[in-house]
Amino acid sequence: MRTINKDVTGTHLERWLVPALILIFCAAAYFLTTDFERMPPILKRGIQPSDFPQLIAGLIAGLTILMMLRDPVITGNRISRVNWATIGLLPVFAILTAIDFFLALAVTATALAVLWGERRGRILLLVGVAVPVAVFLLFDQLFRIRFPRGILTSLWYG
Amino acid sequence: MEAFFAGLIALTDPVLLLFLVTATLGGVVIGALPGLNATTGAALLLPFTITMEPVAAVAVLTAIYCSATFAGAITAILINTPGTSASATTCLDGYPLAQRGEAGRALGLAVVSSTIGGVGSVIVLMLAAPLLARAAYNFAPPEYFALTVFGLSMLATIGGGSPIKNLIAGAFGVLLATVGIDLMTSVERFTFGWSELSDGIGFVPVMIGVFGISEILVQASKLDIVHERIRMKAIALPSREDYRRVWKTILRSTGIGTFIGILPAEGATVASMIGYNEARRWSKTPEEFGKGAIEGIAGSEAANNSATGGAMVPTLALGIPGSPTAAVILVGLVVHGLRPGPTMFTEQANFAFSIFWSMMFVNLLFLAVGLFGARIFARVTLVPVRVLWPCVFIFSVVGAYALDQSMLDVWVALIAGIAGFFMRRYGFSVVPLAIGLILGGMLEQRLGQSMVMLDEKWWLLPTRPLTLFFLLLTALALFGRPVGQFIAARMTRQG
Repeated sequence: MRTINKDVTGTHLERWLVPALILIFCAAAYFLTTDFERMPPILKRGIQPSDFPQLIAGLIAGLTILMMLRDPVITGNRISRVNWATIGLLPVFAILTAIDFFLALAVTATALAVLWGERRGRILLLVGVAVPVAVFLLFDQLFRIRFPRGILTSLWYG
Repeated sequence: MEAFFAGLIALTDPVLLLFLVTATLGGVVIGALPGLNATTGAALLLPFTITMEPVAAVAVLTAIYCSATFAGAITAILINTPGTSASATTCLDGYPLAQRGEAGRALGLAVVSSTIGGVGSVIVLMLAAPLLARAAYNFAPPEYFALTVFGLSMLATIGGGSPIKNLIAGAFGVLLATVGIDLMTSVERFTFGWSELSDGIGFVPVMIGVFGISEILVQASKLDIVHERIRMKAIALPSREDYRRVWKTILRSTGIGTFIGILPAEGATVASMIGYNEARRWSKTPEEFGKGAIEGIAGSEAANNSATGGAMVPTLALGIPGSPTAAVILVGLVVHGLRPGPTMFTEQANFAFSIFWSMMFVNLLFLAVGLFGARIFARVTLVPVRVLWPCVFIFSVVGAYALDQSMLDVWVALIAGIAGFFMRRYGFSVVPLAIGLILGGMLEQRLGQSMVMLDEKWWLLPTRPLTLFFLLLTALALFGRPVGQFIAARMTRQG
């Protein structure tokens, strides 16, 4: 078994939490497969619908146990605040899409730039206004893509 | 032969040429930007191809693949940061050479080596892909099943990461592929009653998520890195003496890269590592490696670019991606209603040869782009990350939405992005996940068909010679290295 250097391993929690979560995921997936409809022999076409997912879930679980023994999870530094905040922007974007898809994009992109240290107004205008508008026009006019209606897009679509 | 010339004639279409030139320039920009690579670029730009003709769409994706792979060398040499992982070994000698005031010579060597490697591999692609397809034409489901298993087993060695974690990620991708209606029995699986999930999880949003959005999250932890760019007067073509020193290395690396590319799942990164190591092993002056050896640049660049053509061989002939970017191109083929596999060379031979010729054209084009435009393209490294990545976010989200005009795809991309970030943090490569997702459906389908064919006696699988051959290759891919290490350790102990 490999020797683990405590300086580079993640927290004790992470080392066990990651495989534990994978095993829970496999157990949940396996449990869900038990609810899949079973086909009569003449219709099952070789394997039952649940067979293959069960096989793969079992394989993942087996490999995870092997990983715990031979190749445990190693992490470097802690996740920084900027990282967490960047991840946090994604659900904010999801919520804002309820108001308007492109408004959400503009706000999230601007917030991302600000979060990462950008303070120049014209750069923020570029990221938050010019690029989303250009992308919208490109997809709307050239690719004929209809975006979900919202406050801003409805102004365009009429 | 008719398809061979038909493919060449397709290149006379000015619209296609315009697309190829634009995609090549775009690919060079993508490859030169640290953090963006050919795979991410192809995934992000895939939605832009939806309204194009299939030939143009796939040609654009392959153009991005070839040119971005080459362009990684620009940043590798000038700022000691590989634009793509395939150029990591180019840094080792390219940057020291640039520090000595020979950046132009280093870039010139990289451009020429890349072009020779790329052109060589496209010639192999033109010859090998139809032959491989012909050989595979009579494959029955058991052979295809074993071949797909072999392809997935090769994920273990991807990117030099942990084999076990790579396999877990690949298996996770295969499991994701089971979401939706089972094509063989029409039973809904893991849909939780959502009709939107009946068609399964889309390849494109997952690709955009794991390659694009997860990279944004990774970049958030690299904001303090400052790149120092070495100034370059002009790019210099290699001298006669340089050619004399590197021609063998270029040819060797072209062979290595093409072969590595042909192996399922292995791409330019592995090819460049092996190409570089072999260049050092065969060199008369190995002590110069790491200090600006031109053979090091040539070995790495010829290998990584030749892997692009090699990777397209199994992608087109068997429907099994030869590299992560080839996986995105495979998705592009499927999105455009094409069926990669042996029938491509009988039913769509003109299409296949159009792609080959497009790749040839792009490889020659980036010789010109590299020689005359490297100084300009080097400037893209000055784009601040605070501008670049918010723009990547906008393209990622809009791209995920655009293909099916579905918000579910946007959520899938975001979730895949977050999952990809944590996977990478804990040492799981996201590439196996993407390839597993692509091959999962095929794997299950072939398994089911094999079971029908073999009367549900799975143990008869190895009784078929080709199936046994692929299963043995699988065993070699999975256990070859640990068994080799075990034997080597025993021999060392025994003295």
